[in-house]
Amino acid sequence: MVRYDHRGRRLWHLVLVAGLCLAGSGARADTASEAVVALRVFPPAVQLDSARDLQRIVVQGERADGVTLDLSAEATVSVGDATLVHVEAADAAAGRPVPVLHPRADGVTSLTVTCRGLTGEVPVRIASATTKPPLSFRLDVMPVFARGGCNMGSCHGAARGKDGFRLSLFGFDPAGDYQRITREMPGRRIDLSEPLASLLVQKAIGAVPHTGGKRFAAESDLARRLIDWIAAGAEDDPDLANVPELTGLDLYPPQSLLEGEAATQQLVAVARFADGTDRDVTDLVWYSSTNASSAAVSADGQVTSGRRGEAFLMARYDTITEGVPTVVIPTGLTFQFPQANDNTWVDDLVDAKLRSLRITPSAVCDDETFLRRVFLDCVGLLPTTEQRQAFLEDTSPDKRTRVIDELLARKEFVDLWVMKWAEILQIRSQGVFVAPKGALLYHKWLDRRIAANQPIDQMVRDLVVASGGTFENPPTNYFQLERDTLKLTENIAQAFLGMRIQCAQCHNHPFDRWTMDDYYGFASFFSQIRRKRAEDPRETIVYDSGGGAMKHPVSGQNVPPKFLGGEAPQVSVQDRREALADWMVAPDNPFFARRIVNLVWAHFLGRGIVDEPDDFRVSNPPVNGPLLDELAARFVKSGWDFRGLVKEIVRSNTYQRSSEPNASNRLDTTNFSHAAIRRIRAEVLLDTLAQVTDTTNKFPGLPEGARAVQVADGRTTNYFLTTFGRATREDVCSCAISMDPSLSQALHLLNGEVANERIRKGNLVGRWIKEGLTDSQVIDRMILRCYGRKPLERERIELLASVQGQSNRQQQFEDIFWALLNAPEFIFNH
Amino acid sequence: MDEAWRSKMFQEDHVVMRNQKRHGQLARPGRREFLQVGALSGLGLTLGSFFTQRAALADQKQFAHFEGTAKSVIHIWLSGGWAQQETFDPKPHSPLEYRGEMSSIDTVLPGIRFNQHLKRTAKIADKITVIRSMTHGEAAHERGTHNMFTGYRPSPAITYPSLGSVVSHELGPRANLPPYVCVPNLPAPDANAGYLGSAFGPFTLGADPAKKNFTVRDLSLPGGVNASRFQSRQHLREVVGRHFGRIEDSQDLIAMDAFYQRAYDLVSSAEAQAAFDIASEPDKIRDAYGRTEPGQRMLLARRLVEAGVRFVTLDNKGWDMHQRIRQGIDAKLPPFDQAFSALINDLDQRGLLDSTLVMVSSEFGRTPKINRDSGRDHWPKVFSVVMAGGGMKRGLIHGASDAIAAEPFESPVTIEDLAATVYHCLGIVAEKELMAPGARPVEIVDGGKVRRELLI
Repeated sequence: MVRYDHRGRRLWHLVLVAGLCLAGSGARADTASEAVVALRVFPPAVQLDSARDLQRIVVQGERADGVTLDLSAEATVSVGDATLVHVEAADAAAGRPVPVLHPRADGVTSLTVTCRGLTGEVPVRIASATTKPPLSFRLDVMPVFARGGCNMGSCHGAARGKDGFRLSLFGFDPAGDYQRITREMPGRRIDLSEPLASLLVQKAIGAVPHTGGKRFAAESDLARRLIDWIAAGAEDDPDLANVPELTGLDLYPPQSLLEGEAATQQLVAVARFADGTDRDVTDLVWYSSTNASSAAVSADGQVTSGRRGEAFLMARYDTITEGVPTVVIPTGLTFQFPQANDNTWVDDLVDAKLRSLRITPSAVCDDETFLRRVFLDCVGLLPTTEQRQAFLEDTSPDKRTRVIDELLARKEFVDLWVMKWAEILQIRSQGVFVAPKGALLYHKWLDRRIAANQPIDQMVRDLVVASGGTFENPPTNYFQLERDTLKLTENIAQAFLGMRIQCAQCHNHPFDRWTMDDYYGFASFFSQIRRKRAEDPRETIVYDSGGGAMKHPVSGQNVPPKFLGGEAPQVSVQDRREALADWMVAPDNPFFARRIVNLVWAHFLGRGIVDEPDDFRVSNPPVNGPLLDELAARFVKSGWDFRGLVKEIVRSNTYQRSSEPNASNRLDTTNFSHAAIRRIRAEVLLDTLAQVTDTTNKFPGLPEGARAVQVADGRTTNYFLTTFGRATREDVCSCAISMDPSLSQALHLLNGEVANERIRKGNLVGRWIKEGLTDSQVIDRMILRCYGRKPLERERIELLASVQGQSNRQQQFEDIFWALLNAPEFIFNH
Repeated sequence: MDEAWRSKMFQEDHVVMRNQKRHGQLARPGRREFLQVGALSGLGLTLGSFFTQRAALADQKQFAHFEGTAKSVIHIWLSGGWAQQETFDPKPHSPLEYRGEMSSIDTVLPGIRFNQHLKRTAKIADKITVIRSMTHGEAAHERGTHNMFTGYRPSPAITYPSLGSVVSHELGPRANLPPYVCVPNLPAPDANAGYLGSAFGPFTLGADPAKKNFTVRDLSLPGGVNASRFQSRQHLREVVGRHFGRIEDSQDLIAMDAFYQRAYDLVSSAEAQAAFDIASEPDKIRDAYGRTEPGQRMLLARRLVEAGVRFVTLDNKGWDMHQRIRQGIDAKLPPFDQAFSALINDLDQRGLLDSTLVMVSSEFGRTPKINRDSGRDHWPKVFSVVMAGGGMKRGLIHGASDAIAAEPFESPVTIEDLAATVYHCLGIVAEKELMAPGARPVEIVDGGKVRRELLI
């Protein structure tokens, strides 16, 4: 299994480990298993570009069971031609037990690494071995501030700086930083005559009182750089065109599977530049871990394992953040992955990850649970007692698939997904800008497309390029709902690419790769949108004027359109939005299809492969990259067939797993090893309340009995929907839909009319009593209706006992009904 | 219980210990203060830490709470932007076009004058603190409102929680009552819970205590359900919920159950219920506050904090006086004067003033010069905030605006300072970091100073 990242680089992935560990899963960690079956040397090619350059080497061995070992200290390292390269056995200065290569003379040779009977070899190329270029402010000095933490938001990177000294946040403005360092407080902040006396140095090394304390040692390489740069005149880079642009950051090793606590692995970081050079920046990056209790990373890049779990280890250098996944498993684990015969390709990919984690998935759930779950998720309703009965009596092996097919063909499936999309497209009326008629037309436009299963790429494309009147071409309402260009830019990125680029409006994104240049380049696609009145005063015409530029707030320059993470297209003639739409929905766009499949996955599994489902970012990697990639690839290949995608997910064992955990997966909440119970969202909950009590809802503009999921205008609401966190569609963020519990919710279900009144109004209990049902039959009916199952024997006994001797039988039944609606089994999908 | 939780608990304990050393007398709030339900209480976890946990784990700056001077807060929100010149910062010596046509009166504080309508408040000026040098730079209603409710300037990337929600998150409920209540409704979106999530949003009454038939939605049992039937209902809910509770092991379930427990407590507690029952207040007191919107809202706020609510925000609209400011003030200020002075006196007589922080604020002040419509427009550069009790000095006029109320003349107070000071009074360290989505730790207040010169 091979994975390509956003830039098309090939990544060695977990699945490879998983495949190997399958073979060795019986073996245990005795001395014999310490033998390694593979030896990897990083970086895969070494390039030394100046006398100052060096390269640290990390050697990783892999055991037969997939566990990786850091063999950098143990390995024997030699070069083919020792006159070209000097090998230092250990990175003594930083105390890292990894070999370091230093240049001696120009040429080409190779590095040979031997350990535990295996040999690895990487090519080494040396150029300009005797040239010592001057220290560059941007390449050599700016990284010191990042590494020292000086330009973080809580320190000098704050908008007003700290204690009278300001740096741009994470270094988004090197020119400004240069000005502030060299032109403010001259003679003090920078002392050219006595560099060591410069406050810049004195504060950082803690020689004088500093609110931020000592950032690095006086004798460290970081301090050395500052002093040397000041000694050389504290010059800015003379010719900015000659400062090579940073193009990428590689973090090695790309993957680790550590066993037990206190296992270690050294990381090595290499920055790549546009001029073809690279630099070992192991000492200059800022390391962090997403889960330090499983894998902590030191400031020097050494990873130490902790308790069982997963962590994503990140390194930030300049504007780029990169990360590598690490899994930690306990020692002495006996693990046997269960055989599964009816897996789909989805299950294979999910299970591969579970194998590497030594997690056994839960069994597939029973028919009753499946039916309730698939009804709620696909059509937003509960199965009726009759539907349940028919399903249980059906003995054909493909009955679940047939139910799925039936549900996907229902109108209620369309209603549910129109609602989901209406949130993303923010369909609502809005004062004088979007008349209710516009919102209704917009909703109808969407409804037709989902009903016809129009390929999603076409639907989104039609929206992104939409021009004309808001009545005549309804998706233009999207551009009326948000008239601020920057907000619109952010909405489009989040809605369709799953990325929250807001941070980069004001500074380079601290946890992602987006710079202000990226942000304003992307915003530039929307800078020519204009609006004018149509004949009907309620209608607006949206069009592109062909003029108008986006200005960069730091440089003040016009920023031409540039795709996020892509190139700047030629858009002199073409409408900017046309160019953008073409790029967005292109089959090889790395974001769009992944965003859509992740959204759908999150709906059915309760959690995205990337979570939150619209928060794709370097520092928030997918829990299962191959799964996300494959879902996206197949979705594109299917011609963006939305129903097909839903079906692939819903028919998998992964979707159909029981929520009941086992010993190995009890703590897993991220890898889909068991079903997650999910609170039912506000609209569906209200619809099911109406369904089980046999009552109706009334919403403005909709006929009596319409369901909450059918509401067209996002401004339509009622107390129940608001209290249970419906989407107002005012915010594109998936986080705008709240599933959090609250006191008001509990009070409303306990005391409000929603349960009490409906039970009385629907009068089901009264009707059943009139029919002459026995106590036991009434209880059966209620529980079947609300929970889709028969009462357990114990429940039946206790509930029957509660009715016994009651003077008001109906009231007691109604209280049981009330209790059923207030209990979690009704409120949660499980 | 999730492993990550345990580890976090462990870490938090360490942090607490570390900070105890730093702050000397610090201690965690008593366990009774925490929500005690199921597994949450088993580990001493509050709902607050539960939701924080769900966000992510990262290196957060942690501080323990300490014993604050204020046990509760009454936040009186005068939306629209009240004029400093026509309230607590008159400029009798400036030219007419600046001072306006209204006059001012002496207060019990020598040399300090308030607007002519603040007759009763002038008599209790020795019990309150007036900040005359509040400042921020946002002249739009929604942005100014955001500043005053959250202590942050609005951000495109993050929705900040209100002070009340942070208090709810940090301190949790007390005496079976919700920790944060809005009277009568959410005054602005910014009064909500922001990134903390709706679990920490305010409990809103949905009804105005100034109205005759005032009742709080869903608070009392529905008709026909008495206490014993409610108890039987609770038992039935327990019976039908048992099976699911046994097979399912989810944090979401625990959290929902926690709120049901709070609802049971609230519905079943006569004292808690009584807190909302303004009708049980003697007529004499109701009249003293005034049978007006601000009067009855402030009275209910007093009942709520007296019973245990930690943070009450009440709303009094209509201060956006672009035209005919004199008529506007004539209508709005007298009922405010009566209600506010009654509130301060009432709290003081009950011995509650020293433990109840009262804050009167608005999104901004109004322009130095009277405009051509005889009104004043938005002015955030300097305006007044009135505080009382809960650790505030009595009879303090803090800072000053310049001669025409255009700029702070001395000791400007920022929104960050104000928020940090309120938190400090409550025993919350404002540098503590809370977890926002994207595993982003955010300080409760970014960089504000506790203004100790305001405090006793």
